[in-house]
Amino acid sequence: MKGHEGSSTMGQVAVALAGIGRGKTLTLVGLVIFLLVILVPFWWIANMSFKSYAQIQFATSIYVPNPFTWENYTGLWADTRFPLWFRNSLITALVVTATTIVIATLGGYAVARLQFPGRESVASLILILYLVPPALLFIPLYRVLAELGTTNHLTSLFLSYPTFTVPFCTWLLIGFFKALPKELEEAALIDGANRMKAFAKVLLPLATPGIVASAIFAFTLSWNEFLYALVFIQDETSITVPVGLNLLIYGDVFHWGELMAASVITTLPVVALYMFIHRWMVEGLVAGSVKG
Amino acid sequence: MTEAPLYPRRWPFPPRRGSGTAILFLLPLFGLVVSLIIYPFYRAIWLSLTDKLVGYPERFVGLKNYLYLLHDDTFREVVRNSLIFTIASVTLKILTGLAMALVLNGILRWRNLFRGLFLLPWITSTVIIALTWRWMFDSFPGRGFFNSILMDAGLLSRPLAFMASPEGAMLAVIVANWWRGFPFFGVSYLAAMQAIPVDLYEAAAVDGASPWRRFWHVTLPGLKHVVIVTVLLSFIWTINDFNIIYVMTRGGPGTATQVFATYSYEVAFNQLRWGRGVTISIFLVPVFIVGIVLISRYLLRERD
Repeated sequence: MKGHEGSSTMGQVAVALAGIGRGKTLTLVGLVIFLLVILVPFWWIANMSFKSYAQIQFATSIYVPNPFTWENYTGLWADTRFPLWFRNSLITALVVTATTIVIATLGGYAVARLQFPGRESVASLILILYLVPPALLFIPLYRVLAELGTTNHLTSLFLSYPTFTVPFCTWLLIGFFKALPKELEEAALIDGANRMKAFAKVLLPLATPGIVASAIFAFTLSWNEFLYALVFIQDETSITVPVGLNLLIYGDVFHWGELMAASVITTLPVVALYMFIHRWMVEGLVAGSVKG
Repeated sequence: MTEAPLYPRRWPFPPRRGSGTAILFLLPLFGLVVSLIIYPFYRAIWLSLTDKLVGYPERFVGLKNYLYLLHDDTFREVVRNSLIFTIASVTLKILTGLAMALVLNGILRWRNLFRGLFLLPWITSTVIIALTWRWMFDSFPGRGFFNSILMDAGLLSRPLAFMASPEGAMLAVIVANWWRGFPFFGVSYLAAMQAIPVDLYEAAAVDGASPWRRFWHVTLPGLKHVVIVTVLLSFIWTINDFNIIYVMTRGGPGTATQVFATYSYEVAFNQLRWGRGVTISIFLVPVFIVGIVLISRYLLRERD
């Protein structure tokens, strides 16, 4: 062990190995194992999406597509309702994201920055709502939405998705607004701006990164949601991608190739968005939602 | 609390600047919460006290649904399956998450890149994950992933139908849930690990503590808090899981992987017994409340 008085970079590096590091080898072996565990299912998806029906059915060229084909992608577009489902998912995610951001930004700011009686209870309430599992609410929510006449239509999703996106995004934004320097807002108030003006002109622009990140989360949560979409909508022209994907296997024929192509197409937009916020997401999410 | 600005004199303190704005800003949030969370929740409680069948008016039956389920063999199996599924998944996620955090903490270059890659399962649609794992375990179409590997390694001569056996199906849904969930654990543990002061490790090293002892006495205590929070969060979400099990097994074979949410769906939407279906999910409310009390203690205390 190195003496701490000589704590050179090397010493720092050694201690940074979290105490258990029996050196680089163990870390590298671990890294390779994790990469395999994470990437194998993604490779399975991509791999299968480029194989023909016969290649899949008769298990020829299992590990790499040989010959390589785009037929699942073209077939998905031409022969299935996937484009329609994709459109439905996109509309739903956009509407829900927009609604969520308005509600969550206002709520998050109020809880983080304004003084009012019961502020702590509101913060607790938001945390509790963020934890409510959709499995607890889908039956009564179905009844309520049916009474409103919105089931079997995307409107049922516009109304129900904010029940989980809003608490989550509000919770994130409370953390985000709290982290912004108080002085800027106070300076604006002293200069004669009212609360609304200080919020709109000073805090909102500063909070843009947090708002964008929350928007991406709201989008992803809506994009991937399954239970509500399955329960609230039966009409095959109004369903979203996650529900539609299940129809691709439970029909008369097993469309695994198309299914995997659809998975690739559905996952890519989310991955692209996520690249964009990855750094903030990791720090913000962990600090904001787990460490508090 | 909303009454305060209306009756300012009754409130012991003069309302501070911002109360009016606060109410205005929180109005949409409260509207949503009351109409689409609290009101449906109230309806759920009411529905569980009725024998509502689709197409018939609801009739109040008191606690009949609850008593029925307590004596129902399938429901007992559902409870057992849910516990096995949840405890196994959460335990695996903690262990893998710790390993993942140690690995990421150990590498110095491209840590962010790897961390991003490792989080991919967490942002991918659960339905896609479930479909993919189902096929990887299954033997149809083609041979599936595990069958192919085992056959090419000479360990199997014919494809095995993993998903057709109760144990195989349970294993498959646990693996899929674990795979989706552990990256979140790993990233949370990594953040907590990086917050442990380097001095603590240095002091331990000076005292001659072995790497294992340093992990046990410095790293683990530093992670205690975040481990508790991730376990509670994951417990609540996993015991309520619907997507993975519904897509992979529909609760089958038989009722071998039937859990609370899938059974509730089955009873409500296939047997059309809404009263009983909703009662199944309400059995989880106490679990949820205990979880919330514990989590709030940890999350809210840290917040300010």
